[in-house]
Amino acid sequence: MRDVIVIGAGGGGPVVAKELAAKGLDVLLLEAGPRHAKPREEWTTFEDDANNPLTGYFRLGPTDRSKPAWYREWPQNSFVWQLSGVGGTTQHFYGNYPRAYPGVFKGYDGADRNEYDVNHRFPFTYSEMVPYFEWVEAIMPVQTAAMGHKEQLFFRGAETMNLPVQTTKTTRGPSYRPQENAILQPGGTAGKTSDKNLLNYPQATGCTFCGYCFQGCMRPNGAPRNQFAKRSTDNSYVPMAVTAEVWARGGKPVELIADAYVTRVHTESRHGVLTASGVTWRDNVSGDEHREDARVVVMSGGCTENPRLWFNSGLPNPNGWVGRGYTDHFFDWMIGSFDDYTGNPKGVGSSARLDYPPYGGLENVGLPPALNAFAGTLSDSGIRGQYRNGRGQTGPWDGPAGRLMGPELKELLAGGIDKLLTVLVITDDDVEAQNRVTTSALPADENGPIPKVTFQQRKRTKRTLNNREFMARKAAELLRGAGAKKVYRIDWAPLILHVQSSMRMGESEHNSVLDPRGETRAVKRLFIADNSALSNGLGGPNPTLTSQALATRTAEKIFQTYFDGDPWVRKETPVVSTDPRISVRLGQLGL
Amino acid sequence: MPAAVPLARRAFLARIGVLGAALGGGGLLTRSLLNPADAATNPLLPPAVDLVRPVLAALARDTLNGLTAFALPGPDQYSRTQRASSRTPGAMEAGATDFMINALEHFVPFPDALAQPISAALVTGLADTGISLPGLEVLPAELRTLDQAFAALLQSDETLPLSFPIAGLLNLMATQVNPAAVNGPHLSPFARLTYAEKAKAFELIEKTDSDLVALLDVQFPEPLKASVSGLLKFVGGALIEFATFGAYGEFAVFDPKTKQLRKRPVGWTLTGYQPDGPVEGWDDFIGYYQGRTEVHD
Repeated sequence: MRDVIVIGAGGGGPVVAKELAAKGLDVLLLEAGPRHAKPREEWTTFEDDANNPLTGYFRLGPTDRSKPAWYREWPQNSFVWQLSGVGGTTQHFYGNYPRAYPGVFKGYDGADRNEYDVNHRFPFTYSEMVPYFEWVEAIMPVQTAAMGHKEQLFFRGAETMNLPVQTTKTTRGPSYRPQENAILQPGGTAGKTSDKNLLNYPQATGCTFCGYCFQGCMRPNGAPRNQFAKRSTDNSYVPMAVTAEVWARGGKPVELIADAYVTRVHTESRHGVLTASGVTWRDNVSGDEHREDARVVVMSGGCTENPRLWFNSGLPNPNGWVGRGYTDHFFDWMIGSFDDYTGNPKGVGSSARLDYPPYGGLENVGLPPALNAFAGTLSDSGIRGQYRNGRGQTGPWDGPAGRLMGPELKELLAGGIDKLLTVLVITDDDVEAQNRVTTSALPADENGPIPKVTFQQRKRTKRTLNNREFMARKAAELLRGAGAKKVYRIDWAPLILHVQSSMRMGESEHNSVLDPRGETRAVKRLFIADNSALSNGLGGPNPTLTSQALATRTAEKIFQTYFDGDPWVRKETPVVSTDPRISVRLGQLGL
Repeated sequence: MPAAVPLARRAFLARIGVLGAALGGGGLLTRSLLNPADAATNPLLPPAVDLVRPVLAALARDTLNGLTAFALPGPDQYSRTQRASSRTPGAMEAGATDFMINALEHFVPFPDALAQPISAALVTGLADTGISLPGLEVLPAELRTLDQAFAALLQSDETLPLSFPIAGLLNLMATQVNPAAVNGPHLSPFARLTYAEKAKAFELIEKTDSDLVALLDVQFPEPLKASVSGLLKFVGGALIEFATFGAYGEFAVFDPKTKQLRKRPVGWTLTGYQPDGPVEGWDDFIGYYQGRTEVHD
């Protein structure tokens, strides 16, 4: 019998595991995918090897890459970018750590208070969340992003838009700024040389501007795992979780098992109350099933897998909200082409942003060639110059929106990938019951019936659709201001990459799965701690910080409710994840 | 004409490219191979089903050549046929068709339970759409053998490569856009289209309420029915995105054993990416915006 079993070692699970391990609980952390313990041997810097969703080392599938990936049903033109493996999608993320907008929390009374997703606010206040933001920001640590050429260009565009520069952690209104990133700032030779002989740790520390965030961060070369620049959970929370005894008084290291696919959450009735009692997982390699019991079970498999596990476990869904209310920031993609060098594929994937509550935001995104080509061809608006698929919006960009492909894409890229500046359009999108995860009617895989992710992209709320158009226009304005000679709008089909709120926490029992403490309403001792627990799409900010802050709060609630403990965030000082005690212990463990 | 091969079915085989690939000008099977009389007198001749398999593979490759040239045109014959070619290397030089076939045949975790009926639907499912098929004068006996070989293959336990239904879909749409594409250079109707016609074929696939979706759905019992129409909407986008990703990526020159590149990927040359190969870092750090290295509330 464990104290706690955490299902999923992605962006959220390791937070709960680390926090409770620090309090001395016996925690088992199960991960369905691989554990990349030796990135220098397992990873490269190549897009197909890394990011091919079928064959890459960053895919949704078992460790053995000769086996197919796990199939998921998407009944529309869309792409749900799931990742298995320790670190989850933080393995390929850009470490962007903005805070959620205050307007998405209970009790917000700003002048624009009625312009957010008012029916799906967080069930507690922004000020209650702040200590948890600060706690995570200190652990990662979150730092103001260093600037490369693509950021300089982004700022040049933003400077033409009559907006202030945000110089606080909290976003109070439309503004622009360098990202607050969970990326260690460059030190020593990092960012100052391209000579690989000069870029070994500790001569170089922090971000070396390699441009490979999306292929996984293993730099500077030779650094201990917990001092790699990008603070994916496999470089931060997981190292802390498995070394808890050396940095936390009374801490107990977490046991982490990879290739362990949880197929069932077990429950029993205790005094007439349905209560979680343990899990069954399947070993991807041997196919053997294992069962283990726990006092508390935490689901952290993500927005798509948590609902699947819920359904496959036969858990009750009295209000029908399991899997519903999935938000994705209804992204769009804008490409500006320039006469001059932009530095597009260098440096952190994104180090500059523009926030525009209550509409959404923008951020620059640098991509290598194949991903750039992919991003230019994912569209709900047909092919530019050929057909519009019933859409093809026109506006302050050049020509109709649509795929930039074939000869047109080739000609654009022939000018040089480093003469492009690409901007991600982030929409403040509403929680909608119709955007959801259900169980697919397609054949089950070895882990049971598979999830089906449905997004009705053309039938979203008026507010969501308007917000997206508003932000796309702002993106065009920014690119023009930066000096783009041409601006292309792709009108992305749903690229489901920022995922939120499919098992949402809410004030009302009528439209939420979790109560305001993070425990499921239907099953006691069962908690959810990852992006799916978020109450809404946060107004547009990238979700990881808010998700981890909420997971920290949930860890406190678990400790208080079921282990007679006291909360710690308001009275303790967090240990930073780069702590040398962790590095030393990782070395002893061969990690 | 034997009753077992109704006209609509024969027309359909032509439209998905199988007849042309097998028997048309430049086709892969000589008529005598499929002649029942020969087969009866030659016990060493492989059964027709073995003859059909390489035809399907060649047809799929040809169709996908038409697709990847659409994604990234180059100096090759497929690009010239679509009347959108380019002097610099394109998808053929980048090995993008191999990329697609490798993915479709080994790694798309697509359930056989669905692939099989889709393939069957593509071969058997459609009614006569009233499009005339010029130049189709195949001897009934040959056609019948081919048809039976197909039926045998589809009914066997053998897993059909996913590239077959994908090619079938593209070719079916190709002949919808341009009925004359059943004949011409290359093996497949899709590869015979102009660039604009290929775009029209994708327009048909992407159209949410396309007749094709409705027709294919007929072949599936509930609850799979709804899944198939959704799937086709997904496939239309995915084929373009994936072909383009493959054309600009390093697949063809990457050695998985050494994890090194054998030579510079076409996509890197076209875009000027990493002129000196992979790096440990770049000298791109300018400083901090307005000199600010940290912020607080």
